[in-house]
Amino acid sequence: MMSEQNNGISRRSVLKGAAVGGIGLAAGGSLLASCGSKDVGPMMWGGRGLEESSVQWHEAVKTAFETATGNTVTLNMNDAGAFQDNLSQYLQGTPDDGFDWMAGYRMQFYSDQGLLEDVSSVWDSIGDQFAESYKIASTGSDGKQYFLPTSWYPWGLHYRKSTMTELGLDPENIANWDDFMKMLEATKKKGLIGYALGDKGGWEAMGTFDILNARINGYQFHVDLLAGKEKWTDAKVAEVFKYFEMMIPYMNKNVLDISWEGMRDLLLQKKCGAMLMGSWFSGDFKTLSQADYDDLWIVPFPEINPTHGRDTIDAPIDGLCVAANGANPEGGKALVEWLASAEGMQARLDSGNTFTSANKGQDTSSYDPFQNQQLAVMGEAKYITQFLDRDTRQDFANPVVAPAIQNFLRAPKDITKILEGVQAQWDALPAL
Amino acid sequence: MTSTATNATVRRRRSFSPKDRLTLTAFVGIPTAFHILLVWVPAIGTIGLSFTFWTGIHISDIKWAGLQNYNNIFTGTPVFWDAIWHNVIWLVWFGLIATPLGILLAYQIDRQIKGHRFYESAFFVPVVLSLAVTGIIWNFMLQPGGFVQGMLGRDIGNPISIYGNYDINTYVILGIASWRHIGYIMLLYLSGLKSVDSSLKEASAIDGATEWQTFRKVILPTMKPVNIIIIVITVIDSLRAFDIVYMIYGSSTGWPILGILVFQNISGGGMSMKGAAYAVILFVLCIGPMITYLKQSFAEDVK
Repeated sequence: MMSEQNNGISRRSVLKGAAVGGIGLAAGGSLLASCGSKDVGPMMWGGRGLEESSVQWHEAVKTAFETATGNTVTLNMNDAGAFQDNLSQYLQGTPDDGFDWMAGYRMQFYSDQGLLEDVSSVWDSIGDQFAESYKIASTGSDGKQYFLPTSWYPWGLHYRKSTMTELGLDPENIANWDDFMKMLEATKKKGLIGYALGDKGGWEAMGTFDILNARINGYQFHVDLLAGKEKWTDAKVAEVFKYFEMMIPYMNKNVLDISWEGMRDLLLQKKCGAMLMGSWFSGDFKTLSQADYDDLWIVPFPEINPTHGRDTIDAPIDGLCVAANGANPEGGKALVEWLASAEGMQARLDSGNTFTSANKGQDTSSYDPFQNQQLAVMGEAKYITQFLDRDTRQDFANPVVAPAIQNFLRAPKDITKILEGVQAQWDALPAL
Repeated sequence: MTSTATNATVRRRRSFSPKDRLTLTAFVGIPTAFHILLVWVPAIGTIGLSFTFWTGIHISDIKWAGLQNYNNIFTGTPVFWDAIWHNVIWLVWFGLIATPLGILLAYQIDRQIKGHRFYESAFFVPVVLSLAVTGIIWNFMLQPGGFVQGMLGRDIGNPISIYGNYDINTYVILGIASWRHIGYIMLLYLSGLKSVDSSLKEASAIDGATEWQTFRKVILPTMKPVNIIIIVITVIDSLRAFDIVYMIYGSSTGWPILGILVFQNISGGGMSMKGAAYAVILFVLCIGPMITYLKQSFAEDVK
């Protein structure tokens, strides 16, 4: 998706519906066996995200890697959206050796095409630092690994503690939908936006759809719907949009004018109560000031259907791949091995990065309260999904679901027709 | 006349020395080779691709799809019809409003109305900017927290919805596109007007023609070649519109248009064949005006 500054550190993530267990806080992270002695030559690293917070941690980690191993790395930072749009061409041209990417389906498409280097040897070396579910998410359809996880983050309700205190609200104690509606109402009465949403990019509102569907119809229905085993014309899907519609009066009036940066800015400038977003943007709060970052908090989206409680969350995994056409694949492997190891992730955390590590051996004692809260929010869920545009076919998510949700936000009363259109387009897709 | 010209041509060709032949072969052959390689091969490849299923990476994965991509687009993709609709509105707007305004402007400036130099440069400035830059500028002006909203005292918490408001955004986009298009047409027409023999205008004035009659019966027919080029440019620019919309909405379908659909499907993974099919549709729509345009330019050259 696109130049228009869509993109950011980003919405990466992914893996098709594989449930990922919480990170165990295993004692004693085994530090990586030295790869410093190996002379693997200069290598290139393709990074995603041009935000200051993203560039900053990439540079810090690059320096740490060079110091630790004596190798020289050239870091090429890219606009996240443009990088994603051009990945196919990038990988067929002269790609960087190692590059930032997403697990699961998004990775598998490229490994199936032979564009990614098999990194099973790296998994043999540091695989014991990751939960089994992460290995599944890193495995291509041929059973080999093509991805190293580095971080993950939750899609939850983000808000400013100070704003909620002023409003006399406590989002941590929202028991159900009625309470949630009351919270939105109370926020609106004070002249703020109750629920900030942007959907200019077409993908942002998928997060709200994901969580509503999981809360109302449960994890299994959500996964089956995205796999085409359930129909979009099912009354259960219409029910999801009924709830979605109830939230519209509390949203900003320019949902289709703003992208995720617009949402972030509404929260930054205290114009809204809460918003559903991935925690990746928290780095931008920290860049602005420590006080703004300390004020930021996240809770899980409230329960709607007691049968499902709050058992599901979108918590995408980010990480690294090695390009098969890179100039130095061996160097790329050494790079991603170090970056994904507990030592490499520690360097990233030490640089002030606000993500949480995907490494189960990570020493979490340096985590700030917001990072611990991210872990708690993800840890509470029994089922982990990635994100709609990562959990289903690429030729369906953005070309079909994105405009459908945009059309719904324009004209909610057309939802029946819109959903019929979505199903018809699913049915018309070529077999994979 | 004709036969003399032909004889002259034949005589000249006979007198080509081997060196001349070599030079001519190089001058004609090299550009032709590049043209075929860089234009025709990809174009034919794209047409072929639109009849397949292909992820766009390994040639061996190509599967024949017949008309399925087209069937999918015409019957199963509502956003395609939204895009066609936007292209049509764009064309109608340019044809009935922007282009005539550019012509009117050129005519007035050519008459050297008061302050014509100022108007000429003012309308010319946007033409210097690429369409992409035009999109960036206007996105910055009108987006929430942008310049215009700021002047109106609207902050991001209390904005006016513009690009996301479907009652007005079509006209806003067309306004932005016209901002540049009017100047472009003015420029083209002005250069045409400068070459109109002023004695024609004087003659019609002496004969008692009104301003409008002079324009319609004298200037317009004299300007026929320029008129055709302007019509063709208006049609092609409306159909291939992409840059401004991309700069404002990105590759999402916030304001779908054919050019965006081509890009959205080809970028990302696995749908290049559908993007190719959109490109072929666009090509078919453009080819009529293009042939007219080329015919006209060749006719010009021969003169």
